[in-house]
Parts: sequence; C-alpha cells; structure tokens
Amino acid sequence: MSSILSVQNLNKSFGNKHVLHDVSFDLKKGHIVGLIGPNGAGKSTLMKTMLGLFNYDSGSVKIAGETVTPQKHESLSKVGALIEYPGIYPFLTGWDHLQLFADGDHQLIHIQKIISQLNMDSYIKRKAKGYSLGMKQKLGIALALVNFPDLVILDEPMNGLDPQATKDLRDLIISESQKGTTFLISSHILSELQRLAQDLLIIDEGSIVQQTTMHELLASQGKQTIMLMTSDDKKARELLKKAKFQTTPDPRVEVVAKDDETMPEVLRLLIEGGVDVLDVTRLEGNLESSLLEVLKQSRIKKRLAEEQAE
Amino acid sequence: MYTLVKQESFKLTKKVSTWISTGFLVGVEILFAFLSRIYPQTFVPANMFESLYFARPIIIFYMIAAAATIITMEFQYGTMKQVLYRRYSRGQILVSKWLAIFLYTLYWYVISTGVALLLKAMLFHHTLSIHQGAGDGMSIFTRGLAISAASFVSLWLLLSVVFLLANLFRNSAAAVSVGIIGYFAAYIVTQLLTILIQKWDWAKWNPVTMTLYPSMLARPGYYQPLLNMQGWQMLLGNLIYIALFLGIGYYVFNRRNV
Repeated sequence: MSSILSVQNLNKSFGNKHVLHDVSFDLKKGHIVGLIGPNGAGKSTLMKTMLGLFNYDSGSVKIAGETVTPQKHESLSKVGALIEYPGIYPFLTGWDHLQLFADGDHQLIHIQKIISQLNMDSYIKRKAKGYSLGMKQKLGIALALVNFPDLVILDEPMNGLDPQATKDLRDLIISESQKGTTFLISSHILSELQRLAQDLLIIDEGSIVQQTTMHELLASQGKQTIMLMTSDDKKARELLKKAKFQTTPDPRVEVVAKDDETMPEVLRLLIEGGVDVLDVTRLEGNLESSLLEVLKQSRIKKRLAEEQAE
Repeated sequence: MYTLVKQESFKLTKKVSTWISTGFLVGVEILFAFLSRIYPQTFVPANMFESLYFARPIIIFYMIAAAATIITMEFQYGTMKQVLYRRYSRGQILVSKWLAIFLYTLYWYVISTGVALLLKAMLFHHTLSIHQGAGDGMSIFTRGLAISAASFVSLWLLLSVVFLLANLFRNSAAAVSVGIIGYFAAYIVTQLLTILIQKWDWAKWNPVTMTLYPSMLARPGYYQPLLNMQGWQMLLGNLIYIALFLGIGYYVFNRRNV
C-alpha cells in the first residue's frame, strides 16, 4: 500500500533547543493513525512542520510524493487539518466559514454534507462569536473535512465535544477512512483513540520511540486484566494478596493476568476460600498503561545509552 | 490569486464595521457639504469640494486600521494557521491581502468622490462649477482628482509601513499607532525637514518627505522650493519606499514560524 505522507530524518530546532530528532515515518492510505506522547514531546511541532507552518533544519516532508516547505506546499490541497484550537472569525457564521474555505467543485454539496454528518444544522447560520467551545470545535473539524481531503491531521479533535458529538465524529472518521482518507490524530483521550486508531506513532522528547499497530502494542505489553465481582470483595483481595497475585489499585477486584492459567487459578482460589464469584470480565489491554510502559522503557534505554556513551 | 483576493474581500464585506464606517464617511461628507452651503465664507465650496468634503483624512485613518487588522486579526483569532496550511504559498497569501486592501482603498476613494459629486450637484448646482479654474491650468475637478491620486499614493506609503509592523509585531495597536503618527509626522516636522533639506539636498529623499506629496500637489508653489523636489520625484520616491517596505514585510512573512 502506498504512503500518503512520508517524513524522513526530520530535524527541527528553536534556537539552541533541538525539538525534533531524526523523525521518520510513513502513513499508509486509508489508515487511522494515532500520534501519542507526553506533553512537550514534539507532537504539535511535528504536525505544524508537516503542514508547512514551521521551517525545518534538515530532512524531508512529502505529501503524495511532493515536498512540503513553508514556502512551497501545493500538495496541501490534499490535506485538511485542525491544529491546537479552531481558528474562528467571530463576525462570520459557521456557514460563511465553510463557504470561505470550501474549494473546488460541488462546494455547496460538500458543505451541506459535512454539516449533516456533524449535526450542525441548528446553529450553522448563526454568528460564530456566540458558539460554545464544542460548537467551535465541531466547526474546526468541519473546516478540516469540508474539501474531503486525502489526509486529515487532527490535534485533540475530541476537545469540548459532548458524548453524542464524539460518537458522530468517530463514525465520520471511520466512514471516511473506509473510503480511503488517512487520518493522523493526536489526542490525550487515549480511550477514544484506542477505539479509533489502527496504527500508532509514539513520540517522546522529539523522537519517534515506536511505530506500531494498536493490536501489536496492546498484545506486546501483555496488559490483560481480569475483573471480578464477588460476594466479599475485601476477603477476595486478601486471598489474592496472600497468594501473590498482582492486583491493580482499582477499587474493584482486578487481577493482572500473566498467562492463560491465571483465570482458573484465581477462580479456584476464591471458591476454595469461601468467596462466591458473581461475575468475571476479561478486560482488554489498555492504551494508557501500554503507552506509559513504552515511554518508561524508552527512557531507561536512552539513559543507559547516555551512560555508556559517557 | 483571484480566489484568495475574493476570500479576503468576503471577510471585509462581512464585517459590520465596513458598513458602519461607510455610513459615517457619507454622513461626514453630507455634514460638511451643508456647512459649506450655510457658511460659504468659512467652508469655501470650491476648497471643500476639492477636499471631498473632509473625506480624505477619514479614509486614511480607516485604511491604516484596515491594513493593520487584515494581518493581525488572523493572529488574534488564531486563524493564521488555517489560512496558511492550504495549497497557496505564503507569498500568495500576503499579496492577496495587499490586493484586497488596494481594492478597499479604491472603494473608499470611488465612494467619497461619487458622494462629493452628488452633493455638489444637489447643493451647489448653480453656485459652483467643477470646471472652473483652480490655478496651475487645472479645474477644481481635475485638481481634486490629482490630489486624490497623490493622497492615494502617499497613503500606500503609510500602509506599506503599517503592513510591515503588523507583520513584525502581530499587534494592530502598534501598527495603527505608527501609521497615525506617520500621517501627522510630516506636518509636525516640516520646518525641521526644510532646514535639513536646505543644508543637505540628499536629505529630501527620506520617507517622511514623501508623505507630503498630496500637499505639494495642492500647493506646488509653496512646497516645491521648500522641499527642493518636483512632483515626479516625489511620486518615484513614494513608489520606491512602498516597494521597499512591502518587500521587507514579504521576506519576514515568508520566514516566520506560525
């Protein structure tokens, strides 16, 4: 499958501060990719550099094979984006905004379609200065999508959205990706990203520490958790602790499953200990703990490498 | 480029201030036309028509504000990123803003001239002829047009500085302040300028002198010997400084991180 975006050996500094270190990755067409990392890891700088907002020291950014620089970026006609927060002209209506940025043929059809998909009909003709945070966010997303681009870059798209709007956006992203649109989404709402992203780029201290798929990451971290509902949670916790099972700090009874044998062993232990098991759920590995583990390992490796170099 | 200029003009037309200021300008012209009719000794009809019934200074203030905000509002509203991450180059974006402001300047001059002609026809139909001589072989009408053209050029010299400052500081207050100070500067320092020019002839080529271009066309006999300059030299000087300031602004805009 060909790549819509290719970043190779990208380096970027602000004065003496080196913020992106040899960043390289490719995005495949039609994939939903999560860009995750701690605050200050370089996510926004990377996205802004890809969009031609920042100059860069070395390396290359190519969209559909064409190089992007702040001075020359015709290939951005294939890109829609929402970076940091939506830029809104208070004196324009939502409709005016979409009309202003809609490009190419069938503009009105595109505008009407995106308004319906994001359920914005009720306020789209009102001046944007009266919009709530969520309305502004939706308008920002609509502006990114109005030209139905090949690549969409979204920075914290779920900010300020209510549950219905979050679901609408999720459905829209999935349906557009199935039609071939590539999404690069940066978000701190990892549970939401876990439901959306197929691929992951993990960035820390300006470097890509892992490029993987969501499935691979969750599987590799082995974070399978068994959640139990029992007739006596306090006693269950004591029995598990005594038998040296790893539990989580969660107020519910949760046991970290090291392998397939953990579940039958736990059940046997509790039943033999006189605790009735009312319900058992096997929780999927979660992106948050997996990410924290990857970041921890990467920092340890980095420190060891630095110590060896000294 | 056509699309970009259309988009900038769309934003201008959607601002309520555009229409309120148009109403205000027309109101001021009507007021001064009536004052001129009632008190012709104080507000001499021919002079008032030439000055487009006091419209020119108002246009200058409007345009200084418009040139500053067409750039700074994008930073203020956080829309600059959206404007830039499209297929258009930064140069095209900036030039489209210049062109939109150029068209906007034309809009004001056309409106104010049209209203002045209308007021003259309505209030001074029998008492003032626009074809009557105004000295230097020009009629009142042609002299008014010549002063308007010169004021247009020297206004653009101010606007080129305003564009540059708005670009550098992303702050309309700084750009507007310098624009307005620039407008008054030439009148304030005329005496000092003339002393300098009489001493060192090359000093006449400074940008502040160039802003006196409309005054020179209005009173050539007074300003030409004082500034030691011809009309065409002032026109050339204005154009060179406009190109220089816009060029620096273009360079800065292309290089900056947003």
